[in-house]
Amino acid sequence: MKILLMGHPNVGKSVFFNRLTGAKVLESNYPGTTVDFTRGWMRLEGEEVELIDVPGTFSLEPKDRAEEVAVKMLAEHKDSVIVCVLDASKIERGLYLALEIIERGYPALVALNMWDAAEDKNITIDVEKLERILGVPVVPTTAISGEGVKELVSRIHEAAPVRIEKIIETAGGVRDAGGDERATVR
Amino acid sequence: MEKKLSEMDFDEEGTVKEIEENLRVQVAGMGIRVGKGLRMATKQPIKGPVVVEVDRSFTSLGLGIAKKIVVAVE
Repeated sequence: MKILLMGHPNVGKSVFFNRLTGAKVLESNYPGTTVDFTRGWMRLEGEEVELIDVPGTFSLEPKDRAEEVAVKMLAEHKDSVIVCVLDASKIERGLYLALEIIERGYPALVALNMWDAAEDKNITIDVEKLERILGVPVVPTTAISGEGVKELVSRIHEAAPVRIEKIIETAGGVRDAGGDERATVR
Repeated sequence: MEKKLSEMDFDEEGTVKEIEENLRVQVAGMGIRVGKGLRMATKQPIKGPVVVEVDRSFTSLGLGIAKKIVVAVE
Protein backbone atom coordinates (compact mmCIF):
# COMPACT_ATOMS: atom_id res chain seq x y z
CA MET A 1 0.00 0.00 0.00
CA LYS A 2 1.10 3.52 -0.73
CA ILE A 3 -0.07 6.74 0.88
CA LEU A 4 -0.03 10.02 -1.03
CA LEU A 5 -0.15 13.36 0.73
CA MET A 6 -1.99 15.80 -1.50
CA GLY A 7 -3.27 19.33 -1.08
CA HIS A 8 -2.82 22.96 -1.97
CA PRO A 9 0.57 24.60 -1.73
CA ASN A 10 1.43 25.74 1.79
CA VAL A 11 -1.02 23.64 3.79
CA GLY A 12 1.59 21.58 5.64
CA LYS A 13 1.98 18.40 3.60
CA SER A 14 5.71 18.31 4.23
CA VAL A 15 5.21 18.85 7.96
CA PHE A 16 2.94 15.80 7.89
CA PHE A 17 5.51 13.87 5.92
CA ASN A 18 8.24 14.66 8.45
CA ARG A 19 5.99 13.78 11.37
CA LEU A 20 5.00 10.45 9.88
CA THR A 21 8.37 9.32 8.56
CA GLY A 22 10.73 11.07 10.93
CA ALA A 23 12.50 12.58 7.92
CA LYS A 24 13.76 16.10 7.63
CA VAL A 25 12.24 17.43 4.45
CA LEU A 26 12.62 21.15 3.99
CA GLU A 27 9.58 23.01 5.25
CA SER A 28 9.02 26.69 4.89
CA ASN A 29 6.24 29.14 5.44
CA TYR A 30 5.80 30.05 1.81
CA PRO A 31 3.97 28.07 -0.85
CA GLY A 32 5.60 25.87 -3.43
CA THR A 33 8.46 24.50 -1.34
CA THR A 34 7.99 20.98 -2.70
CA VAL A 35 8.37 21.06 -6.48
CA ASP A 36 9.56 17.51 -6.81
CA PHE A 37 8.15 14.70 -4.73
CA THR A 38 9.68 12.95 -1.73
CA ARG A 39 9.28 9.35 -0.69
CA GLY A 40 9.55 7.89 2.77
CA TRP A 41 8.47 4.94 4.80
CA MET A 42 6.32 4.68 7.88
CA ARG A 43 4.98 1.87 10.01
CA LEU A 44 1.26 1.29 9.88
CA GLU A 45 -0.23 -1.49 11.98
CA GLY A 46 3.07 -3.36 11.95
CA GLU A 47 3.50 -2.99 8.22
CA GLU A 48 5.96 -0.77 6.34
CA VAL A 49 4.09 1.50 3.99
CA GLU A 50 5.41 3.99 1.50
CA LEU A 51 4.49 7.62 1.98
CA ILE A 52 4.81 10.15 -0.82
CA ASP A 53 4.86 13.90 -0.32
CA VAL A 54 3.28 15.25 -3.51
CA PRO A 55 3.87 18.87 -4.60
CA GLY A 56 1.02 21.25 -3.83
CA THR A 57 -1.65 21.68 -6.48
CA PHE A 58 -4.81 23.77 -6.64
CA SER A 59 -6.67 21.35 -8.86
CA LEU A 60 -6.14 18.27 -11.00
CA GLU A 61 -5.93 20.44 -14.11
CA PRO A 62 -2.20 21.22 -14.06
CA LYS A 63 -1.07 24.78 -14.73
CA ASP A 64 2.62 24.57 -13.90
CA ARG A 65 5.46 22.09 -13.50
CA ALA A 66 4.78 21.29 -9.85
CA GLU A 67 1.11 20.67 -10.55
CA GLU A 68 1.99 18.45 -13.48
CA VAL A 69 4.13 16.33 -11.17
CA ALA A 70 1.26 16.12 -8.69
CA VAL A 71 -1.30 15.01 -11.25
CA LYS A 72 1.11 12.52 -12.82
CA MET A 73 1.88 11.03 -9.41
CA LEU A 74 -1.78 10.54 -8.72
CA ALA A 75 -2.27 8.81 -12.07
CA GLU A 76 0.74 6.56 -11.52
CA HIS A 77 -0.38 5.36 -8.10
CA LYS A 78 -3.86 4.06 -8.71
CA ASP A 79 -3.61 1.72 -5.75
CA SER A 80 -2.82 4.35 -3.13
CA VAL A 81 -4.73 5.91 -0.30
CA ILE A 82 -4.80 9.69 -0.58
CA VAL A 83 -4.54 11.91 2.45
CA CYS A 84 -6.05 15.23 1.35
CA VAL A 85 -4.39 17.87 3.47
CA LEU A 86 -6.57 21.00 3.69
CA ASP A 87 -6.00 24.35 5.29
CA ALA A 88 -8.95 24.40 7.71
CA SER A 89 -9.12 28.18 7.47
CA LYS A 90 -9.52 27.98 3.68
CA ILE A 91 -11.66 24.91 3.66
CA GLU A 92 -13.78 25.55 0.58
CA ARG A 93 -11.03 25.62 -1.98
CA GLY A 94 -9.37 22.69 -0.28
CA LEU A 95 -12.54 20.68 -0.55
CA TYR A 96 -12.63 21.43 -4.26
CA LEU A 97 -9.42 19.49 -4.72
CA ALA A 98 -10.48 16.78 -2.26
CA LEU A 99 -13.68 16.24 -4.25
CA GLU A 100 -11.73 16.04 -7.50
CA ILE A 101 -9.60 13.30 -5.96
CA ILE A 102 -12.61 11.45 -4.58
CA GLU A 103 -14.37 11.77 -7.94
CA ARG A 104 -11.49 9.94 -9.61
CA GLY A 105 -12.23 6.98 -7.40
CA TYR A 106 -9.36 7.09 -4.93
CA PRO A 107 -9.87 6.02 -1.33
CA ALA A 108 -9.27 9.21 0.62
CA LEU A 109 -9.06 10.82 4.03
CA VAL A 110 -9.34 14.49 4.80
CA ALA A 111 -6.96 16.18 7.23
CA LEU A 112 -8.28 19.57 8.29
CA ASN A 113 -4.83 20.90 8.99
CA MET A 114 -3.91 24.23 10.55
CA TRP A 115 -6.85 23.68 12.87
CA ASP A 116 -5.25 26.03 15.39
CA ALA A 117 -5.05 28.81 12.79
CA ALA A 118 -8.71 28.30 11.90
CA GLU A 119 -9.64 28.54 15.58
CA ASP A 120 -7.67 31.76 15.83
CA LYS A 121 -9.73 33.13 12.96
CA ASN A 122 -12.93 32.07 14.78
CA ILE A 123 -13.75 29.55 12.08
CA THR A 124 -15.72 26.59 13.35
CA ILE A 125 -16.21 23.50 11.24
CA ASP A 126 -18.78 20.80 11.89
CA VAL A 127 -16.40 17.87 11.39
CA GLU A 128 -19.03 15.19 11.99
CA LYS A 129 -21.36 16.67 9.41
CA LEU A 130 -18.58 17.04 6.87
CA GLU A 131 -17.62 13.43 7.45
CA ARG A 132 -21.22 12.34 6.99
CA ILE A 133 -21.48 14.25 3.71
CA LEU A 134 -18.16 13.13 2.25
CA GLY A 135 -18.34 9.56 3.52
CA VAL A 136 -14.58 9.56 4.19
CA PRO A 137 -12.74 10.07 7.50
CA VAL A 138 -12.27 13.75 8.35
CA VAL A 139 -9.75 14.57 11.07
CA PRO A 140 -8.84 18.00 12.46
CA THR A 141 -5.07 18.26 12.74
CA THR A 142 -2.31 20.66 13.66
CA ALA A 143 0.65 18.90 12.07
CA ILE A 144 3.22 21.32 13.41
CA SER A 145 2.37 20.42 17.02
CA GLY A 146 1.32 16.87 16.18
CA GLU A 147 -2.28 17.23 17.25
CA GLY A 148 -4.65 14.84 15.47
CA VAL A 149 -1.86 13.10 13.56
CA LYS A 150 -2.25 9.87 15.53
CA GLU A 151 -5.98 9.82 14.95
CA LEU A 152 -5.44 10.39 11.25
CA VAL A 153 -3.02 7.48 11.02
CA SER A 154 -5.37 5.22 13.00
CA ARG A 155 -8.12 5.92 10.48
CA ILE A 156 -6.16 5.32 7.28
CA HIS A 157 -7.67 1.84 6.98
CA GLU A 158 -11.17 3.38 6.92
CA ALA A 159 -10.49 5.17 3.64
CA ALA A 160 -12.62 3.78 0.83
CA PRO A 161 -13.73 5.09 -2.56
CA VAL A 162 -16.97 7.06 -2.48
CA ARG A 163 -19.20 7.81 -5.45
CA ILE A 164 -19.38 11.55 -6.11
CA GLU A 165 -23.11 11.29 -6.85
CA LYS A 166 -23.61 9.99 -3.31
CA ILE A 167 -21.83 13.03 -1.88
CA ILE A 168 -23.85 15.45 -4.00
CA GLU A 169 -27.03 13.70 -2.90
CA THR A 170 -26.11 13.81 0.80
CA ALA A 171 -25.16 17.45 0.50
CA GLY A 172 -28.51 18.20 -1.12
CA GLY A 173 -26.91 19.65 -4.22
CA VAL A 174 -27.66 19.29 -7.88
CA ARG A 175 -25.61 18.11 -10.79
CA ASP A 176 -26.55 20.11 -13.82
CA ALA A 177 -26.64 18.91 -17.40
CA GLY A 178 -23.22 20.26 -18.27
CA GLY A 179 -21.68 17.89 -15.78
CA ASP A 180 -20.63 20.85 -13.67
CA GLU A 181 -21.23 19.80 -10.09
CA ARG A 182 -22.49 22.24 -7.59
CA ALA A 183 -22.96 20.81 -4.16
CA THR A 184 -24.45 23.18 -1.67
CA VAL A 185 -24.20 22.41 2.01
CA ARG A 186 -27.26 23.58 3.84
CA MET B 1 -23.64 47.64 -11.90
CA GLU B 2 -21.29 45.21 -13.56
CA LYS B 3 -17.60 45.67 -14.17
CA LYS B 4 -14.46 43.64 -14.73
CA LEU B 5 -12.74 42.37 -11.62
CA SER B 6 -9.63 44.24 -12.76
CA GLU B 7 -11.61 47.50 -12.67
CA MET B 8 -12.80 47.17 -9.08
CA ASP B 9 -11.66 49.85 -6.68
CA PHE B 10 -9.69 49.19 -3.55
CA ASP B 11 -11.92 47.72 -0.79
CA GLU B 12 -14.87 47.45 -3.18
CA GLU B 13 -17.11 44.42 -2.73
CA GLY B 14 -18.93 42.49 -5.39
CA THR B 15 -20.38 39.18 -6.52
CA VAL B 16 -18.91 37.12 -9.35
CA LYS B 17 -21.26 37.19 -12.34
CA GLU B 18 -19.30 35.70 -15.18
CA ILE B 19 -16.03 33.89 -15.71
CA GLU B 20 -14.63 33.25 -19.16
CA GLU B 21 -15.24 29.61 -20.03
CA ASN B 22 -11.63 28.44 -20.38
CA LEU B 23 -10.72 30.02 -17.06
CA ARG B 24 -13.45 28.52 -14.90
CA VAL B 25 -11.66 25.39 -13.78
CA GLN B 26 -8.47 27.29 -13.08
CA VAL B 27 -10.00 29.85 -10.74
CA ALA B 28 -12.47 27.43 -9.13
CA GLY B 29 -9.54 25.81 -7.34
CA MET B 30 -8.74 29.21 -5.89
CA GLY B 31 -12.25 29.59 -4.51
CA ILE B 32 -13.60 31.89 -7.22
CA ARG B 33 -16.86 30.75 -8.76
CA VAL B 34 -19.98 32.41 -10.14
CA GLY B 35 -22.10 33.65 -7.25
CA LYS B 36 -19.19 34.10 -4.85
CA GLY B 37 -18.79 37.33 -2.93
CA LEU B 38 -15.38 38.96 -2.98
CA ARG B 39 -13.57 42.11 -1.95
CA MET B 40 -10.70 43.87 -3.68
CA ALA B 41 -7.87 43.81 -1.16
CA THR B 42 -4.86 45.13 -3.07
CA LYS B 43 -4.17 46.46 -6.53
CA GLN B 44 -0.58 46.62 -7.70
CA PRO B 45 0.58 49.32 -10.11
CA ILE B 46 2.11 48.83 -13.57
CA LYS B 47 -0.21 46.03 -14.64
CA GLY B 48 0.59 44.14 -11.46
CA PRO B 49 -1.58 41.46 -9.91
CA VAL B 50 -4.69 42.05 -7.85
CA VAL B 51 -5.41 40.45 -4.50
CA VAL B 52 -8.99 39.58 -3.66
CA GLU B 53 -10.52 38.31 -0.46
CA VAL B 54 -12.83 35.31 -0.86
CA ASP B 55 -14.24 33.45 2.14
CA ARG B 56 -11.92 35.26 4.52
CA SER B 57 -8.80 34.20 2.67
CA PHE B 58 -6.75 36.01 0.08
CA THR B 59 -6.00 35.03 -3.49
CA SER B 60 -3.82 36.88 -5.94
CA LEU B 61 -4.75 36.93 -9.61
CA GLY B 62 -2.84 38.15 -12.63
CA LEU B 63 -4.37 41.20 -14.27
CA GLY B 64 -5.00 39.17 -17.42
CA ILE B 65 -7.16 36.75 -15.45
CA ALA B 66 -8.88 39.53 -13.51
CA LYS B 67 -9.94 41.11 -16.81
CA LYS B 68 -11.81 37.96 -17.76
CA ILE B 69 -14.00 37.91 -14.67
CA VAL B 70 -17.14 40.04 -14.48
CA VAL B 71 -18.33 41.19 -11.09
CA ALA B 72 -21.58 42.83 -9.98
CA VAL B 73 -20.96 45.67 -7.55
CA GLU B 74 -23.45 47.70 -5.51
